[in-house]
Amino acid sequence: MLQRIAIICSAAVLAACGPVSEHAQVEQDGLVYCSEGNPEGFNPQLGTSGTTVDATSAQIYDRLLDYDDKRQQFVPALASGWQALDDGTRYRFNLRKGVSFHNTDWFEPSRPFNADDVVFSFNRWLSPQHSYHHVNGGRYPFFRSSGLIRLIHSIERIDEYTVDITLNQPDSSFLANLATDFAVILSEEYAQQLLSSHQPEQIDRLPIGTGPFQFELFRKDFIIRYQRHEGYWREKPEIKRLVYVITPNANKRMLKLLTGECDVIPYPLVNELSKLDQNAEIEVGSSVSPNVSFWAFNTQRPPFDNVLVRRALAHAVNRPAIVQTIYDGNARLATGMLPETSWAYSDAEQTYPYNPGKARKLLAEAGYPNGFSMTIWAMPVQRAYNPNAHRMAELMQADLARIGVDATIVSYEWNTFRQRLVDGQHDSVLIGWVADNADPDNFFRPVLSCAAARSGNNRAMWCNPEFDKLLVAAISESDVDQRKHLYQFIEDMVKQQAPLVPIANSLRYQAHRSDIEGVELPPYGGINFRYARRVNDDSL
Amino acid sequence: MIRYSLRRVVLLIITLWLLTLLLFSLNYWYPGNPLTNMSGITADNLIAYQQAELARGFDQGLLSQYLKFLQHLINGDWGISLVTEQPVFDEIKPLLGATLELGLLAMALALFLGIPLGVYAAIQQRGLLDRIIMGLSLSAYSIPVFWLAQLFILLFALKLNWSPISGQINPLYAIDVQTGSVLVDILMSDSPYKTAAFYNALHHLWVPVVVLAIMPLTMLIRIMRNSVLDVLQQNYIKAARARGLNDRHIMFRHTLPNALQPIVRQLGLQFSVLMTNIIITEVIFNWPGVGSWLVKSIYERDFPVIQAGLLVLASLILLVNVFVDVIHAWRYPQIRKEIDAE
Repeated sequence: MLQRIAIICSAAVLAACGPVSEHAQVEQDGLVYCSEGNPEGFNPQLGTSGTTVDATSAQIYDRLLDYDDKRQQFVPALASGWQALDDGTRYRFNLRKGVSFHNTDWFEPSRPFNADDVVFSFNRWLSPQHSYHHVNGGRYPFFRSSGLIRLIHSIERIDEYTVDITLNQPDSSFLANLATDFAVILSEEYAQQLLSSHQPEQIDRLPIGTGPFQFELFRKDFIIRYQRHEGYWREKPEIKRLVYVITPNANKRMLKLLTGECDVIPYPLVNELSKLDQNAEIEVGSSVSPNVSFWAFNTQRPPFDNVLVRRALAHAVNRPAIVQTIYDGNARLATGMLPETSWAYSDAEQTYPYNPGKARKLLAEAGYPNGFSMTIWAMPVQRAYNPNAHRMAELMQADLARIGVDATIVSYEWNTFRQRLVDGQHDSVLIGWVADNADPDNFFRPVLSCAAARSGNNRAMWCNPEFDKLLVAAISESDVDQRKHLYQFIEDMVKQQAPLVPIANSLRYQAHRSDIEGVELPPYGGINFRYARRVNDDSL
Repeated sequence: MIRYSLRRVVLLIITLWLLTLLLFSLNYWYPGNPLTNMSGITADNLIAYQQAELARGFDQGLLSQYLKFLQHLINGDWGISLVTEQPVFDEIKPLLGATLELGLLAMALALFLGIPLGVYAAIQQRGLLDRIIMGLSLSAYSIPVFWLAQLFILLFALKLNWSPISGQINPLYAIDVQTGSVLVDILMSDSPYKTAAFYNALHHLWVPVVVLAIMPLTMLIRIMRNSVLDVLQQNYIKAARARGLNDRHIMFRHTLPNALQPIVRQLGLQFSVLMTNIIITEVIFNWPGVGSWLVKSIYERDFPVIQAGLLVLASLILLVNVFVDVIHAWRYPQIRKEIDAE
């Protein structure tokens, strides 16, 4: 009997080893990414969820232009070149020739990419009369919130490889918006084919693009499978197969990375990062994500309408200590509204240092020598830019007590919370902002302009016509150096007026096995596997 | 025998009918619109909704709604999932394959190890090995599956690295899902790495199979041991001994066939326990089976899927139980007499 058990065991061990060489070949050619959730669909135009963007934008699709964050400039992608005409109200894009769409079981392209595809892709979200506009929900949140829908007047095909986009007014953030993960190019030919077979909704389920990987299969809650696009117009990816294994549990993701079942994982647990870093088989990558968490004052309410009070409060909180405690060292202390990754960023310190003595003096100057009482609203949800707003509020409460300000912490359910913020019921609030694109404008106009104050997105309820004039001047300017100068001016104004106190720019993490190279985590947008490859291990 | 089988089948049909009644009523007890709960078609899609209203008899009374419900059920039109908007019936087929693969392998392992170990313990009665086997099986029986699974993952996957943590196969092998049973799918596929894929699948399979097999295995060992001891006391064994037959002959010709009778009777019950445990095991090992699908659908309030999952698991348990009962009665005529005598 024991003998038999021994035989069974040895069989099991044999099974565990298997034919090593074949297995190594399969592994060498592929990469497993353990993603954190199911994508909502396979078209980033329809949503803003990071999971969907990670699963689609950089893999399946290409855009007209890309943003190179190292050189901080726009580089050609599907458009080989572009010119701004008519004082920046018309842009002409020359399109690349010989770009092929994916050839799959469900679609065989008969022609390469051309102007019709661009016109189709834009009109889908731009024009409510378009036959695809209402397919699969018909909501295009990115294009609405970034103002592209209002900005673009029309898009026109000039010839097979030229399109013109006419704007309602000049806007220097226009190109930045086109370089986001949402402005992808779909296939017009595929759309027509689906329309004639009466299943237009398939366009977002069985996607066709020009990107480096083509979609193969999606099993909800289990896997998404891609294979290399053999006719890719740029350098082909080195890996032949790309698989997303859907693993929502963060603990399980970490364990699977340790056992080698995942090659790359997003969002590792923050408190396990140091342990992971010590493991020789694992490398942790990070990038400063374009976000900022801040403490905004309701400038419509006394005493926060007094700039001296706002400056006093800014001096009163010990931001370095807060960042250390809340983010466990995984965030950078903000030096202004703009994060380090922005091209308009400057090293100059544009915030108030911790100085309770000065804070007390300023309060006395403002007429509150004995302090006052106020509320701090702490958002009830975790976000990358602020993992624990309530704890942050408690730390600030202690700091404020030192200058005689008595703070109470307030929190509501998230939807109620936001509604009441819009109504302006708060004294101050801990919240933040994640940028959608690389343009510095995205950190000011949606957060601090008068228009934002009217729509309720301006948490400081701060409306300063002079500030708005500066913002408009900055986006109408096209010279980069000049713009950089203007944004420094704007930063300065935010510091002087102190409608809010920037706290931190948090990092975004990704961990991978050490034999994987080239997985890109661009600061703006989703993960990119185009340059990913497996380094040959000498022991194999 | 025929009468007995008929009685069992009639009982099966009645139970299944009660099950459909329960499922039908669930649609009204769940929150929301009964038609949406039943068909997965929401009122957003007005045309499809109106069509479903007609097809499902929602313009008529409850009775005709129930009859239409049965009709759809039998035709394999189980509505669409509220989450994926795919037909539930098509979704369930590969999942069922995966669940059956896991369950059958676990049951086979339990039988393969449990019967010899039980016999061995009985022969060695009160010997050291008997005590060890019985002690181990009692302690293993008292370990809950969810804990055992985590323990095995910790030991075999993380510490020893003998197996992966979850899944059916390394997804890079790109085996197309046809039956859902990964081993069968590999054999049917045209992958150039068939052998490697097969080994890789076994590599993934063995931990969940062992975890699932432990509970029925310990039960089988104990039942087998007691049953063998019981048979060994019978007069016909004594008579065989008196005739001078050797021990091996007595064991294989007389003891074992009779001792197996309670095992066969237990199989149905053990299968039900196995199906309960399989739900937990599938969730822990990310196994793409009916169990993990059912659990997820409960989180997502996907009512058409919840119903389909319940229906499939419940009918599977019922069918296996009836099947085992019939085999049992066919193989051991004394049972039929007992039942008839009642």
